[in-house]
Amino acid sequence: MKPISQFGYEEARDELIDVVRQLEQGGLDLDASLKLWERGEELTKRCEEHLAGAREKVEQTLAAKDDDEA
Amino acid sequence: MNQAAPPNSAENPWPVRAVSTRVADYIDKLGRVWVEGEIAQLTMRPSVAFIALRDPAADMSLSVVCARDLVLNAPVALTEGVRVVMYGKPNFHTGRGTFSLRVTEIRAVGVGELLARIERLRRLLDAEGLFDPRLKRPIPFLPNVIGLITGRASAAERDVMTVTRNRWPAARFAVRHTAVQGPSTVPQIVESLRSLDADPAVDVIVIARGGGDVEALLPFSDETLCREIVKCTTPVVSAVGHEPDNPLCDLVADLRAATPTDAAKRIVPDAAAERALVADQRRRSARALRNWVSREQHVIAQLRSRPVLADPLAALAARGEEVHRARTAARRDIARLIAAESDRVGHLSARLTTLGPAATLARGYAVVQTVPATGSAAVLRSVHDAPAGTRLRIRVADGAITTVSEGSDEAH
Repeated sequence: MKPISQFGYEEARDELIDVVRQLEQGGLDLDASLKLWERGEELTKRCEEHLAGAREKVEQTLAAKDDDEA
Repeated sequence: MNQAAPPNSAENPWPVRAVSTRVADYIDKLGRVWVEGEIAQLTMRPSVAFIALRDPAADMSLSVVCARDLVLNAPVALTEGVRVVMYGKPNFHTGRGTFSLRVTEIRAVGVGELLARIERLRRLLDAEGLFDPRLKRPIPFLPNVIGLITGRASAAERDVMTVTRNRWPAARFAVRHTAVQGPSTVPQIVESLRSLDADPAVDVIVIARGGGDVEALLPFSDETLCREIVKCTTPVVSAVGHEPDNPLCDLVADLRAATPTDAAKRIVPDAAAERALVADQRRRSARALRNWVSREQHVIAQLRSRPVLADPLAALAARGEEVHRARTAARRDIARLIAAESDRVGHLSARLTTLGPAATLARGYAVVQTVPATGSAAVLRSVHDAPAGTRLRIRVADGAITTVSEGSDEAH
């Protein structure tokens, strides 16, 4: 199975949505819930990494462009 | 002649009177004749006139004797060169042994008759195709030597030479002076024509004579002369000024000039006029070129005033604005997108926190799981499940650690 660190943003986000939905539905035993929850945490982290990276890329690009235009 | 004379011989010659009488008798029998010719010579005596009547085309003549009054009362003034019709009797003058025509009537060859004769000849020459425009040789633009046939010291000669030299000062002439009226006109002109035609330097031949009446110009309608003109290989210009009954040499010549002056204008270009023409052409071409340049300049100026050339950055500026707007929009969109996604992930994260044990863990609780060599981890609910040596995973708020059980506290 692909490690979460290699997930793309949408891939991580969609699975996170799925994880939250499963947890909300309930009916899972503690072990499964815990496992699911931990995976959700990891997916959340992956999503935030992606978004932080995207934000940083935008800022960097804009900064470089502004330098060019100056 | 029923004379009972012995046969004529050296031993029995006839006396002069006998011969003269016999010739006179013989000639007397010829009767009266109408004869036509040109007056070559006229001598008036107190009572009679002696006339040499000459054939216009052949070198033959007759002596004519008539009463002086007949000459004085003739229908036209009889002078040398005048063509006449005479009625007379051939007569042998026994006194001097001369032959003459005793004329009793003299008529001028009528102008109408002359014209009719010229017309007959014109039709004949025309039928032979001698007036055909295709026979006309072109007159050179600038002749090397100009052959000029004209009367000695005539106005025609002066006109041709003066006008020609005024127009083209370097013009060269080969002049042949001939009779321009009278019986010797045709043979002299024909001879001059032949000699000029034979001269390779002569590029054009002008036959010039001032105007005159039909009779004076008769030689210029002469058949022999006309045929000679046709035979020439050099272009011939006829400048025998006479309108409207132009002599036939006008029709056979390669170019017909109305007057000697006109001929001069036709055989050489007018140097001054040519120079003026060239100058005019130069002026016009220069002007045309200048106009062309100014027209093109105008076109270029107009093109340059068009917005795209006048303000070449305008189009770029518009594009730049477009790009700028697009960039702004893109920045806004990406920022919005990232914000939206962040929001979304934030919500998911919050819900996950709510659903999970994070809050409990944050208060210091931990979840302990056994970690078997095979199979999945299970939450540890009893000390029995974790004898010493059991691998355990302890999950706390900020992560997990693994450890090994040392067995139950009760066992100690």
